[in-house]
Amino acid sequence: MNPLRCIPYVIKQVTRHRVRSLLTVLGIAIAMFLFTAVQAMNHGVTVATTETANDTTLVVYREDRYCPATSLLPQDYQRRIEDVEGVVSVTPMKVVVSNCRTSLDVVTFRGVPKAEFIDGLGSDLALLDGSIEEWMSRTDAALLGETLANRRGLRPGQRFDAAGITAYVAGIVRSDDAQDQNVAYTALEFVQLAGRDQLGIVTQFNVRVADASMLDRVSKDIDEVFRTAQEPTATFSEKAFIGRVADDIIELVGFARWLGLGCLAAVLALVANSIVLGVQSRVSEHAVLQTLGFSGRLVAGLIVAEGVILSVIGGLVGGAAALAVARWGSFAMSVEGTSIPIVADGGLLVSGLLVCGLIGVLAGLVPAWQASRREIAACFRMA
Amino acid sequence: MTLIECRGLTREYRKGDNIIRPLDDLDLDVPRGDFLALMGPSGSGKTTLLNLIAGIDSPTRGSLVIDGTNLANLSRNKLAAWRSENVGYVFQLYNLVPVLTAYENVELPLLLHPLDRRQRHERVRTALERVGISDRSDHFPRQLSGGQEQRVAIARAIVTDPAILVADEPTGDLDKPSAHAVMSLLKELNEELGKTIIMVTHDPKTTDWATRTLHLDKGRLAETGASLTHEQEALA
Ligand SMILES: Nc1ncnc2c1ncn2[C@@H]1O[C@H](COP(=O)(O)OP(=O)(O)O)[C@@H](O)[C@H]1O
Ligand SMILES: [Mg+2]
Repeated sequence: MNPLRCIPYVIKQVTRHRVRSLLTVLGIAIAMFLFTAVQAMNHGVTVATTETANDTTLVVYREDRYCPATSLLPQDYQRRIEDVEGVVSVTPMKVVVSNCRTSLDVVTFRGVPKAEFIDGLGSDLALLDGSIEEWMSRTDAALLGETLANRRGLRPGQRFDAAGITAYVAGIVRSDDAQDQNVAYTALEFVQLAGRDQLGIVTQFNVRVADASMLDRVSKDIDEVFRTAQEPTATFSEKAFIGRVADDIIELVGFARWLGLGCLAAVLALVANSIVLGVQSRVSEHAVLQTLGFSGRLVAGLIVAEGVILSVIGGLVGGAAALAVARWGSFAMSVEGTSIPIVADGGLLVSGLLVCGLIGVLAGLVPAWQASRREIAACFRMA
Repeated sequence: MTLIECRGLTREYRKGDNIIRPLDDLDLDVPRGDFLALMGPSGSGKTTLLNLIAGIDSPTRGSLVIDGTNLANLSRNKLAAWRSENVGYVFQLYNLVPVLTAYENVELPLLLHPLDRRQRHERVRTALERVGISDRSDHFPRQLSGGQEQRVAIARAIVTDPAILVADEPTGDLDKPSAHAVMSLLKELNEELGKTIIMVTHDPKTTDWATRTLHLDKGRLAETGASLTHEQEALA
């Protein structure tokens, strides 16, 4: 016999015990919403801080400084960094943030020499809307990362204020780099002039090296060049730099993992509760099924399937809601000019559903086994 | 021709140090096509015997051979498969699945058989027509009267076309007209479809529908229905 033929029966058990199913699914959905949110933050930390073979960017910062307001380096370091062996390009960058503390809605300006930027660091950016020419030609023009633009609802042609700077949106760009997604690129002098007289001063240099294997050596060489300079440097790979600056966010997200596990435990408890109560109130019904010829194994399978259906539906609702909120809000956790994105994609939803399915099986296993082992005749006497 | 053969059939339950023996060394032959009524005081082992014959309980001792198969030798899973082919059970309290419609309740046992949707539909419709309740096929059990529920339950018991029907006080919860309808339906199934029926009853009137009546007392057969009938005739 084909057990799949019984699936409609299980679905009817779910849909026709409407109140029970709704409450259970609602509880699971809330827990899975939280779980998905935690996973999205976790995923963001991984994306922002785990180095891959494609990562060839170094960040040169003022030694012993941790925020863009205090990292002040002479712009003319650029020439000396370019002389270091293995360096492909150097982009001086002046970073100004709207909020120095950790926040979900920080606007980060990165002032860069436009022409160099477009040919070097910015060559990977994909223009979604607006025009690069306009960005090149207007002094107050900004290229906005997609996440920032979505969050602030900005379109090309609009102006916006942040960090005491009024900028014009010339284009919206997408990048594989989580940092680019959440910043506004403008002309270097534009940002320098917006602060106190800081022409000739930059926050950092972003350095491209020829190969990922060179990152360590080149960063040591750069710091060696400026070891005795008035403003000594500390050079990190971009991902390590983010890990250093955003360490409190990363720590919090690490802790949130426990919340995620707690959510899964809650889902397990909810499904198990629902199934145990369902099985208890249906002792004679399951005995009837067995009297009709359903084997104990099949009855157990139906009970497990019910747990899986409940928890997968709950996971779908909660996970989809979390995805929708993350997409709609376009949040990124920002601190000191760096961002940890909140990465909620379809893969996250699928893995959440798999976890839910597994929990459904676990939750149903014991009650299903018990129901399948009961003496049929004794069940009718209990009722 | 004997369809059901019980030899030394014994069922014991252990309750602490006590052993309860609702069925004690019972011998019984039921020929094919029989309509057997079982009577006896409460606790005399009627349901226990019915459950053994229906294959939802196993004897402690003795043999129970039905149509050449010794049920005592079957594993739990084999026994389940055997039930789905050979026996339909009609309960006193109907035991329909509350979240399923009449139609879906009757379809339930067919899910175990290699039939497609259309074949199942055909069988369910025939069974519902047979018990005269086709017009209620979309109703849920709570929307049916007791008599209607019992007729749906009978449809569910016969839809797989088993040779044996067992019924445990099938009219015990019904008013007179409904009880009459159910009894005449069972009689029909016995006479027209040749079902072998074993029915437990408390109501002496319902035994009139049966071909014979047996009395159980303390787990043993007291006397045959035939002789009782003769005694009653003699008394009359
Ligand atoms: N699972 C069981 N455990 C203990 N005693 C049982 C069990 N099943 C039946 N009995 C006992 O067996 C006796 C006969 O029960 P039963 O067959 O239901 O009688 P009847 O149907 O004739 O009223 C009763 O005394 C009952 O308490
Ligand atoms: Mg009884």
